[in-house]
This record gives sequence, C-alpha cells and structure tokens, in this order.
Amino acid sequence: MMSLSGVSGLIETHKAVRANRGVAPGCRRKQLLRGLLVLLLAGLAACTGPAPVRPEPPATVPAETQDTPAEVQEQVREPARRESAGVQVHPLQNPAVKAMLAEAGQAESQGDYDRAAGSLERAMRIQPRDPEVLQAMAEIQLHKQDYEQALNFATRSYDDGARVGEICSRNWRTIGVARGHMGDSSGAAQAELRAGQCMNTKPASY
Amino acid sequence: MSPGSGTIYFMATSNRNGSAARKINQPVPGRGWSGGIWRLLLLVFGVFLGLLVPWALYLDYQVTSEFEGRKWDLPSRVYARPLELFPGERLARADLELELKFAGYRSSPAADKPGRYHVSGQTIDIFRRSFQFPEGTEPPRLLRVILADDSVAELVDLKAGQAMDIARLDPAEIASIYPLQKEDRTLVRASEVPTLLLTGLQAVEDRHFKQHPGVDLSGIFRALLANLKAGRTVQGGSTLTQQLVKNYFLSGERSVARKLNEAIMALLLEWHYEKVDILDAYLNEIYLGQQGDLAVHGFGRASVFYFNQPLDRLEPQHIALLVGMVRGASWYNPRRNPERALERRNLVLDVFAETGLLSAAEAEAAKAQALDVTENPQGSGSQYHAFIELVRAQLAQTYRESDLKSAGLRIFTTLSPVEQEKAQRAVTAGVDQLHQTGLPAALQGALVLVDTMSGEIRALVGDRYPGREGFNRALNARRQVGSVIKPLVYLLALEHPESYSLLTRISDAPVVLNQPNGKQWVPTNYDEKSHGEVTLLHALTQSYNQATVRLGLQLGVNNLLHKLEQFGISVPIDEVPSVFLGAVELTPLEVTQIYQSIAAGGYSVPLRSVVAVQTADGGELVRYPLRLMPQTQREAIGVLNYALTQVVQQGTAKALPGLLGNSTLIAGKTGTTNDRRDSWFVGYTRDRLGVTWVGLDDNGPAGVTGSNAAMRVWAELFKDLPLEPVDLRMPDGAFWLWVDDKTGALTAQNCPGAIEVPFVSGSEPTTSTKCMAEASEENDESFWSKWIDRNP
Repeated sequence: MMSLSGVSGLIETHKAVRANRGVAPGCRRKQLLRGLLVLLLAGLAACTGPAPVRPEPPATVPAETQDTPAEVQEQVREPARRESAGVQVHPLQNPAVKAMLAEAGQAESQGDYDRAAGSLERAMRIQPRDPEVLQAMAEIQLHKQDYEQALNFATRSYDDGARVGEICSRNWRTIGVARGHMGDSSGAAQAELRAGQCMNTKPASY
Repeated sequence: MSPGSGTIYFMATSNRNGSAARKINQPVPGRGWSGGIWRLLLLVFGVFLGLLVPWALYLDYQVTSEFEGRKWDLPSRVYARPLELFPGERLARADLELELKFAGYRSSPAADKPGRYHVSGQTIDIFRRSFQFPEGTEPPRLLRVILADDSVAELVDLKAGQAMDIARLDPAEIASIYPLQKEDRTLVRASEVPTLLLTGLQAVEDRHFKQHPGVDLSGIFRALLANLKAGRTVQGGSTLTQQLVKNYFLSGERSVARKLNEAIMALLLEWHYEKVDILDAYLNEIYLGQQGDLAVHGFGRASVFYFNQPLDRLEPQHIALLVGMVRGASWYNPRRNPERALERRNLVLDVFAETGLLSAAEAEAAKAQALDVTENPQGSGSQYHAFIELVRAQLAQTYRESDLKSAGLRIFTTLSPVEQEKAQRAVTAGVDQLHQTGLPAALQGALVLVDTMSGEIRALVGDRYPGREGFNRALNARRQVGSVIKPLVYLLALEHPESYSLLTRISDAPVVLNQPNGKQWVPTNYDEKSHGEVTLLHALTQSYNQATVRLGLQLGVNNLLHKLEQFGISVPIDEVPSVFLGAVELTPLEVTQIYQSIAAGGYSVPLRSVVAVQTADGGELVRYPLRLMPQTQREAIGVLNYALTQVVQQGTAKALPGLLGNSTLIAGKTGTTNDRRDSWFVGYTRDRLGVTWVGLDDNGPAGVTGSNAAMRVWAELFKDLPLEPVDLRMPDGAFWLWVDDKTGALTAQNCPGAIEVPFVSGSEPTTSTKCMAEASEENDESFWSKWIDRNP
C-alpha cells in the first residue's frame, strides 16, 4: 500500500533530534482524585513509569566530519571559471533569487550547509528551474558528501541550463566528482570529457 | 468545653468500646478533671496525627504532582508556508490581503504596530511581526509593497528607506495538535512577561503575594469587609497560590471543605517552591477562555487567542482585559460579552492607576481604547483538517503521537492558505454547478494541488463541503483511474526510440482478449467507433481505448506495472490487460505522485507536506529536504509532456482553454471509468500540478466523464491561479523537428502541413518531403542573393 505511508515513507531526514525535553506523561489528575489515602504509596510508585523513548529518525547523510570545501573550489568552480574565460553565458536573474544565492553562499562559507540548502530551496520556490540555483545545490550536496543528490541536482541544472560555458562545466565537473566518490570511475572520466566540451562554442548542427 | 459535654463524650466512647471504657472508668486517684483534659488532648492529637497528617500528605502529593507534571504538556503548532514577497512576483491585491488575514494581520488606519497593515490603492504597508523561522528569528519590519498589474512592482523597507529584493511574512498558524486533556497553552516565563502583567495581577488579585505563606488572612478579612459592605461577593480573598490550586482541580463546587483543602494545598505549594515558580505556573495555568472543547490556559496563549499578538506586544488596555478575565473567563468573554468585558477592563485600569502602576493619564488613555479583540482566534479554522491529516501521517514516520500532542513542536508545512481557500471554493462551487447541470446531488469531489518541481503540497481538499471532517477523499478514496493511466503506456513506447515516435502509426481496430476466467474482454472506444490507423499522438490526445490496448500488448502489462512502481506506486495490481485502460484503484494523492514525475520532466520527488520541525524553544531541527530521484530516459518524458499539451490543444480536454478564459500552454489528461462512475482530470502548468476527482462515494454510476466534471472543477481553481506555460525544452537526447503532419516525413518550417514535434534521439523520421528538398535549395539561393544584394 502506498497511500499516505508510501508517500511520506519516501521522506528521509538527515539529522537526528531529540525534540522532547523530558516531557513525562505525569500521573493524571483524574486518577489521583479517585485515589484514596491508602493508595498513596501505590500511586507514587505508578508515577515513576518509563520515560518516553524517542524513535531515532533515519540518518541518511554521514556526519559532516570530513569537510571538503576545497574539493568544490578546486575541482569544480576554479577549473570551470578558468576554461570559460571566452565563453560566458549570463542569463538574466531574478534579484530575489540572487539574494537567496548570496545568502546560501554566506552560509556555505560558514560551513552551515543545512542553512545554505534551506536558502536554495527558498530560491527554487521562486524560480524552480534556475540552473545556477540547482548547481549551487549540487555543490552544497558535495560538501555534505551526499554524492547521489549532488549528481542529481547537477544533472537537472544541466538539463535546464545553457548546456554551454561555465555553468555547463560546473555541472559536469560535479557529476564527475560525485561519480568518482560513488565508485563509478569510467562515468567520472566520461563526465570529465563532457566538461571539456562545454567550451565548444560550435552550435549544434541544423 | 463544659464538664458535661466531656462526660458525655467519654461515656459515649465507653459505650462503643468495651476495653477503652474499662480503662477510662478506672478511677485515677488524685488526677480528676485535669487527667480528663490531658486524655482529651492526647486523643485530639492522635486524631490529628492519624487523619490530618496523612490527609495533608495526600494533598501534598496531589498538588506537587500537578505542579511538577503538568506544566510541560504543550500542543504542537502547525504553520503554513510563509509568503515570499519579491519584485516581479505575481500577486493580486486580493490574494495578498487574504494571506495577511490568514496570518492574523489586521487592517488599520496605519501600519503602526507589528501585526497591522494598511492598504491605500495599490500600496500596502505591512508591519511584519517578528518570527522564529527554521533558519533563525527575523525581527519585526515595516514593509511597503507596491503592486501593479497583479504583480509586485516594488518592495521597500520603510524604516531603512531601501528597496528590498525579498522578504517573507510570518506564516499563518493553521492548526495545533492538542494534548489529550484538550488544553491549549503557550509557555511563558514570569521573567519574560511584561512587568505590568505581573504587578497588575498582584494589584488586582493578591497584594501581599510577596509576603504571605500561601494564604493571606488580612486579604480574606479585607474581602469579607468589602463583601459585607456591598452586600454581595465583590472581592475574593484567594491568593494567587490558592487560585492556582483551584485551577489544578477545577470544579464548580463551593464548599468550606474545598476551601480548606485549597488553603492547605496553597500552604504546601509555598512550602515546596519559590514564589517565582508559583508565579510561572500561575501564568501558564490560569483558565482564560474556551474554544469548542478546548480550554485556553495561561496568558501566553490567551494573548494570541484574543489579540493574535505575543504577550510582549500587548498594551496596558490588553493586559488589563486579560487580568480582568481571571475573575471569570466566560463571564467576561470579550467576544461574547464585550460590554461587560469593557467595564471590567476599565475597572482594572482604575486599579492600575490607584496602585501607581499607570499614571492617571495613561490609564485614561488606555480606557479610551477599543477592546481590540480579533474576530476569530488563530488556527481555529477547520478548513485545513484534510491537510493536517496528511501532516500527521508524514510526521508519524519520525514522531510518536504522544510527542506531537505534548512536546510543543513547531511544524513548518507547505500549505498555501490562499491556494487552499481557492481549491476548496473550486471543489464546492464546481460540484454544485455539476449538480445544477443534472448530475446527482450526492456527487463528491477531491483535489490535490502541488508545486510541480518540489512536490510540496499547496492545497488538499477531501470533501466538497468546506470544514466537514470525516472521509478524506484526497488521501483515502481509492478509485479506478481510467484513462489517466494511458500516458504511461505511451511513455513505455517512447522509451523504445528504435520502434516508436509520436508519429508511429498504430491500429485503432476492435480487439478481443481471452481472460483467465474464460470470458472475453472487448474494449470499445468512448464514441463506440474504431478509427483505423492513427498516430500514437492522435491515439493519446483522443484517448482511444482500442489503440491503447493494442499498443500496451506490444509493450507488456508487467512493464506498465514496473513503470508505476518507478513512479512511486506500490499497491498490488493484477497483471491483466485492462490495466492499460486504468482498471487500477488509486487515490488522488497517488495519481498526483505519478504525474509529478512527468510534470517535473522526470525529476521525481516524494510529495511533501512538512519541510521542518523544531522544538518549542526553537532548538533542534529536523529537516525534510528536497531530494531528487531522477527517472531514467527523461528524454521520453520530455516528449510525452508535449503530447499531453496536445490533449488540451486538440484532444479530449480542448474545452479547457475556454473554461479558463486563457490560452496558456497547459498539459493535461482526462479520465473516465466504466459506467461513468469516476471523473478524473490531471493538469499542470510549469509551476502547479492539480489532480481532481469527482464521483459518488458508493461507487455508483454518476454520469460523469473526465471533461464534463473533474476538468470543470480543475478549471474553477486554475482560472484563479497565475498560469505559467509548460516548459517544453527537451533534455539531452530529444529534440524538435519540423515534420509533415500527414506523412510524418521531415519537412521545412514554411512547407504546407509543417508541424513541429519532439523526437527521442533515434526515433526521428528518415524520409523528407519534396518541399523540404526544394526549400533547402531556395535557402542556399537566398543566402547568395543576400550577399550579392549587399555588395552591389
């Protein structure tokens, strides 16, 4: 059965919490009022029931212990910027989306990748298919070492993007890095090749 | 005590108890009366020890366990998605005002305080409240929104006098999930509430709170005098501590015994706890109102309940009203008995002035103010319960029901209050209209509206009657889907570019199938005709049954079932050919999940109603982030998207643009089941995917078809939403070509019968029209002639 449980069953959380701060379901008034003097001790005993146990939500993302901010910079952004010197595509961008990208960038530089992802989701609600936003999300996923999502967001950014120039190069470099981490070395090499073709300004055949 | 009574007492005792009588009647030489008194005292002491001490212990236990155990039972609050404001946003003034209303903002002559807004033509000033978003707290801010042509033209931070790129409103509180005892409260601390509330409470209710040990004899005396003087009860002598105890064990009973119990418990509480702890408990415990079967306890919640403002934003007149209500929350209910409440409030303001808490001028100014109570309490609407049911189901994956009800969680959801309002209106009005056109009166409807790309659920309607709780059809009505399933059959075909393109021809001729039960299955078309050789595109847009079954048989039922699974459906389905025509029972939510994958170009996401959950104090956060789950062969989905726009342009849904009064490019699919029992419509724009269902709860024939019923309900909603055309840019591996509409051969744009159609790489036509060959020669000529012309 899918229904509710199916739909929501697909939802995963990546941060364990203990939201419940010592909320003991205390003995209730009605029970107490019914209790007689002789039940005093018994009642006391009944009040020391087990504390609630919080089910731990599944953690799907490894803890952010091995931060690799250098990877995104050195293997994605920097080479893409270098190569694309002659091929620049500057699509008009919504100022609200730009503001959210800036906010995400700030959170990223502070190492707060959850907050960065939150800002990028806000940007996506405004402009769902902005390739810059999608690629920024892919890079945040690289930081978080969620390589599958990095791959998925980069692919989507490529599908919706210019498929040429710097953003294209960042797309394929991210895909390459992600595939490498996922053990797909031939896929990574292929992505490297595609990144190289992003600077090919020859238009597609007509 | 007279000697006589003492004697009688002893005699009575001796009569009852033989052994005691023997002892007592034994003469004690030389002790006489004094010995009797001594014995009496001993007995009284014994009785005291034997009864009063255990009784006090029992009361002690009762009152301390109440004190310790109850103060943390907090309902969880559920918030809608916050409205983002930014220049360029499509936002009609009426919609913005509706958003403000749902978020508890009040229209006033000036946006001079948080929670107020002022409209002047197309300029709306909003004093946004401070709010703790999952990402952090945003302070109050005075915003100016200037609208033009139903869009935000400018957004200004008025205080800084600067244009802004983006701002968000604090979200509407759409529901609370309550503890079992049906008590509603928001925790506050004595150290954090306005001083006037603390001092005012003591001035009115208990002037010796600081000094007394729980009971205030002088207070009782003073009240007694005042009451005698007035000839009726005008003052209570109960201390705040006694009132707190009374609130713990609310009962209408007024007896001396109860008063005595209260007094003992008050003394005990004071013995155990600090004054400030008692005050904390009082502030959160005192009964201040009622909403249905829900009791409002404490000043924190009462502030929101009556004024829709946090406690620290209240002004003296508001505080005075709440303090006055302590004496009788229903008697002085400002919504039901405004005059009585006003009188009481002003009396309290007088006391504030008498005791020097306010200057005379301040008190007079406060008395001149209106009651200022909101019309309806926040989050009281039942219009969200269908959505809340989904929220609870999603949260049940991570949280225990008891935690939702008592841990005071803050739940951030995806619901858009304005879209929910419009969606409910569309279902209610739409189904009413269907009834007026002759369809059954008992028709029911359901609707799901989601953000196409993120899968965030913006609205959910489970009943045609607004606010009615009960069967939630959007989540739970499991009905045959009919032709709504057909696009998946065509998708399977498009995934084989070596064999199929949209222009591949297929036979729409009668088909007879032998079923496992020995019977024959002979599907017919809606118009009872067969249409010969047709293209896949034509068969899909016209929803031909015979062509679809023939195509499906070439592809295999098992593959269709597998495709459903890839799109998030895991209900068990019989592997029979009738599945090609939608003999599958799914809920509207499940149908939405399937089409999300298509509408988002193959980037599937699980539908979400919750994005984050936070603890009551804004602490640890659980996020439910956006996670993409891409389908393989998205190029086939890209091509299918085009085909579904053609359903609206020229197929079974071609009446839709007329119903919408708008020709924006929309994709959609109609669905009807046997004997016209179910009517489905699935339609999407670039940003919104809506699924509507109409039918009878008893699954009887309803006379409905996809286009005569569900599509009308869908149009009823979407005509009130901003419409962005479906994005038909093809992904890698698919492209657009000009082809001849008759032969499907490649052609040139300016040739007769040229249409542009997308193809999955490998499925493109191999032949070309004569016109195209000529056109390319012409093109070459014109190229040269251009050069020649330019260079005379």
